[in-house]
This record gives sequence, structure tokens and C-alpha cells, in this order.
Amino acid sequence: MEIVVVAPPAPGRLEDLKRRFFATPLQTLLSLISLTIMALIVWKLLDWAVFSAVFTTTGGPEACQAAAGACWSVIAARWRIILFGLYPFEEQWRSALACVSVVVMTVLSCMPAFWTGRRIALVWGAGTGLYYVLMKGGVLGLPYVGEEAWGGLALTLFIFVTTCLIGFPLAICLALLRRSDLPWISRTTGLIIDGVRSLPLISILFTFAVVLPFALPQWLQGDKLYRVILGSALFFSAYQAEIVRGGMQGVPAGQEEAAMALGMSYWQRIGRILLPQAMRNALPATINQFVISFKETSLVVIVGFFEILASGNAAYGTGEWRFAYVEVYAFIAFIYFVFVFSLSRYGAYLERRMAVGER
Amino acid sequence: MDSTLPSGPAVHIEGLDKHYGSFHALRKINLSVDRGEKIVICGPSGSGKSTLIRCINRLEQHDGGRIAVLGTELNDDVGNIDGIGREVGMVFQHFNLFPHMTVLENCMIAPVIVRKRPRAEAETTARRFLEKVRIPEQAMKFPSQLSGGQQQRVAIARALCMQPQIMLFDEPTSTLDPEMIAEVLDVMVTLASEGMTMICVTHEMGFARRVADRVIFMDAGEIVEEAPPEAFFTSSRNERTRQFLSQVLGH
Repeated sequence: MEIVVVAPPAPGRLEDLKRRFFATPLQTLLSLISLTIMALIVWKLLDWAVFSAVFTTTGGPEACQAAAGACWSVIAARWRIILFGLYPFEEQWRSALACVSVVVMTVLSCMPAFWTGRRIALVWGAGTGLYYVLMKGGVLGLPYVGEEAWGGLALTLFIFVTTCLIGFPLAICLALLRRSDLPWISRTTGLIIDGVRSLPLISILFTFAVVLPFALPQWLQGDKLYRVILGSALFFSAYQAEIVRGGMQGVPAGQEEAAMALGMSYWQRIGRILLPQAMRNALPATINQFVISFKETSLVVIVGFFEILASGNAAYGTGEWRFAYVEVYAFIAFIYFVFVFSLSRYGAYLERRMAVGER
Repeated sequence: MDSTLPSGPAVHIEGLDKHYGSFHALRKINLSVDRGEKIVICGPSGSGKSTLIRCINRLEQHDGGRIAVLGTELNDDVGNIDGIGREVGMVFQHFNLFPHMTVLENCMIAPVIVRKRPRAEAETTARRFLEKVRIPEQAMKFPSQLSGGQQQRVAIARALCMQPQIMLFDEPTSTLDPEMIAEVLDVMVTLASEGMTMICVTHEMGFARRVADRVIFMDAGEIVEEAPPEAFFTSSRNERTRQFLSQVLGH
């Protein structure tokens, strides 16, 4: 005799919902209450942000204040300050183009097709070069604009990208030095990493911006902006070095031995065998570090730079838009969200891509 | 085999000493391996077998005595070591394939970046050796997609792609299931029949009997006994050897 095993019928979506949320009268009651609360919140938010909101600048601040909802007019009236800070009004198209060049550079260097030494160097050289020329001017008929006038999103992006470009290679160097066979090298590096990590970022930025000029000769000082970027890159690299080192420890010792047995040199072993595997191990923590660094750029306001958050403060801080700070912060939060969320999604893509050949 | 290299033994070891801290891992080892000779080294765990062959390709540095490989003495001269490293291939207990590269890339990387061979030539060589270890169809897979036996055969092919003069095997079958041991040993037997100089640390006594010119028994960092396989298995005089043999052959 043949025994036929019939699987129990899979519950439909509706039955599943019923079973999970409406099984008993009490559960039904709780579910209904929660649903009502959620609906209320969503409705209130939508009403504030869309239905009762004012979008045009025609009525000025007064029309806004009279309205019950959000006052998006402040963004329409002040978006230039938020995005470009104190950059001269007529030249702000340069700042916009500079933003685009940094974003394009970042997107390109995220694409595997550009992961060869020459291409990535070209992309980075062109991207930062273009940014610098556009922002600073003084050549090609562009009026000169000093670093102290740079601001807004353009400045935030520039500080973030250069921090990573300088900090990441530095982090790899520090991680390699820390695993050196020579104790005096590994201990000194460890001391530097731990030293930098024990200091708050603000104090490092302050030191590089304000204290360093007293210690360095004039010709070595550079602009305050670049000193601040160096400080933040140093801070970034101290954390990232430990992340990279953790990734390296996850690579079995047999990998380097096999590479040695095949006659590979130190740099070939590091570049072809150790680092690719270490970076794969370190990827989630690395993305985390990038996200943190992006948001920490807002700390440069402490040494007088108007990055996007500080520019936002300035946007509503003057006179007639003083009441509309919630809208300004919502807008800035949205911008942060777009960048950080893309970064996280990119990290997830990389993880999927690297999962090929996972043990 | 290669006329550009000086004649004489493939490996010549004299009074070799190696310490790990206070632990004396190798004591005054003397061993000479001729070109084309097949040596099997066996002994209880911790007897120094692996350390000995790891000294031959400089994965470990000896601290006493002399090692000469293909007529070149191993010392702190870096160029010297690199040159010798390319002539000595090694197969590990845990395969140590590079997990982030395909099987083919595993076999091509060293010839391309160390020997500076053109990629096309390296690929032809790699495919030829993958054919030889009987897994040409796995070339585009990643190591994690293969069985243990297949991985170890890739590891052998990877070492052979450097076209070494000497092959070292460090317990190549000790982590494999029985049916996979056979496929790896088959490849090693073929290699032996083609005249490769081989030094194998292994407990596969059937392999030793079939292939080895000499079997070496080590215990506590010393070479206790050294004999052709027949004599080694039937008439060894040493008490420690007999005890070890009864343990590995007993069941």
C-alpha cells in the first residue's frame, strides 16, 4: 500500500494575519488600539508635512506663520545658504558643480570597474582637482574664493571624502605596522593608535586648527581647512586601523604561508592575499566607520567652518524665518539620510558581491 | 633535470637545530635527498617532521646547522631565499587555497606575479596541471565549492604551476575522508613516477611502500631510523619505530 503524505495547506496571508494579531478578543482589542494610534500619527505627520503645509515663497514668512502645517517656504527661500553656506551668491553654481564632481568621483570609485590602481588614481585626482579649482578659483577667469568662505553641503562632502581618501590608506599602513615583527615598531604604532583613539575628535580638530600654527613654521601650516582635514583623517585612521587589523586576524595563518611557499614577496602577499580577505572580513565595520565619519563632519563648526548643519542654523537664524527651524532640520536630516542610506546600501551590495567564494 | 643548476643533492641538511623558545624541536638532523628521490617522513605528532620540511622552504628559520637546497645554502640573504622558494613547491595539510580566487586564478597568480609569465601562458599551464590532477572542469569554481580531496588536488596543481624542482607534502591527506585520500594519493603516485623529487610527511604507509625510496622515522626531534621501505616495515631494529609501526599498521 502506498502512503500518501499531504502537507498541511499553507495559510494564506489573511489567515496568517488573523492568527498573529486577532486570535483572542484581547489581542484583537490591542491590535485595533495600536492601529488607531499609528494611523493618527501618520495622519498628523502627513497633514503637517503636506496637506496644511505652505510650499511657495509668495506670501513670505507671514503666510507661513498663519498656516497650521509645515513651512517649506523657508527651504525655497534659503536652500542656497544650506547647500552653499557663505559662498558668494553669484559664484554658487561653482559650488554646485563641485558637489557634483565629488559625488561622481565617489560613485565611480565605488564601481568595481574602476578598482585598478591607475583608474582609481585618475578618478580621485580628477575629482578632487576639479573640486579644488571650481571652489577656489583664481584661474580660468573664475574669481578667487578663499577656503573660509566655503560652506554647506559642498564643504561637508569635501571634508568627508578627503578624510576618507587620506585616512583609509593611512589606516592600512598603521594596521600593517602594528603587526610588524619588530616590537619597537608594533608597540610605537599601537601607542599612536591608542593615543589618538583616547582623545575626543573635537580636541583633535581644535589642536590642528588653532594650536598647530604656533608649533609649525609658516610655510608648513597650510590653510586651516587642510589642517582640520588632516586631523580628522588621523582620527579616522586610528579607528579604521583597528578595524583592518581585526580583519587581518580573521585570515588564517596558512594563507600567508601558502603565498610564501609560492615565492611571493611581502607586498605581493599583503596586496593579493592578505588585504583582499581582510577587507572582506572588515567590510561591515568599515561601512559603519564611514557612516560615523560622515556625520562627524558636523563637528568642524567648532573651529569655525560652516558645513551643512551650521549653514542650516544660519538659514533660519536670521530674522524673519526664526520660527521655521523644524523644517530646516527636517530638510538637513533628509540630505544626511540620502547620503548615509546610499552608503549602507552600497555596503550591502559589496557584501553580496564578496560573498562569492565565501567559506 | 635542469642543466642550469649545479649537480649534487636536491637537499642537503647537516647538523640542523631548531628551537621554539626552550623547546628543542629539531636535534642535529642530517639528511641528504638526491634529485628524483622520494622520501617519506613519519613519526608521532610533535616529533618535528613538519618543522623539518618547513625549514627546507624557509617557512621556519633554523638556528643551527646548514641547509642547502639545489646547491644554494639557506641563510639570511633575502634574494637567495626568494630564488629557492620558487624551486620548492609545498602542499599543506589544510590546503590553504586562496578563497577569494577561482581555482584557475589560484593556479595562475604565482606564475604571473612571481615568475612574470604572460597571463595566456600561465593559463595554459594552469589548465594543463588541472587536467593532470583530474579536475579540469572545476577551473572556474571557487575553492569553497569543492570537496576536500578536490581542494587538495588543486593545491598540488597550484604548486606544480610554478614548475618546482622539489615538492614538499605536509600531511596532505590527514584531514580527508578515506575515499578522498585515494584520489590525492593517486595524483602523488603519478607525480612520483614522473621523477619529481618529493619529501612527504605522511602516515599513509601503503603510499610509502609503493613510492618511497627511503622511509625516515622521527621521534622527539631526531631521525631515529632511516631505511628503504621493505627493510623499514619488516626488519626495523629500533624499539620506538616498532612501537609506532604497530600503532599505525595495527588496525
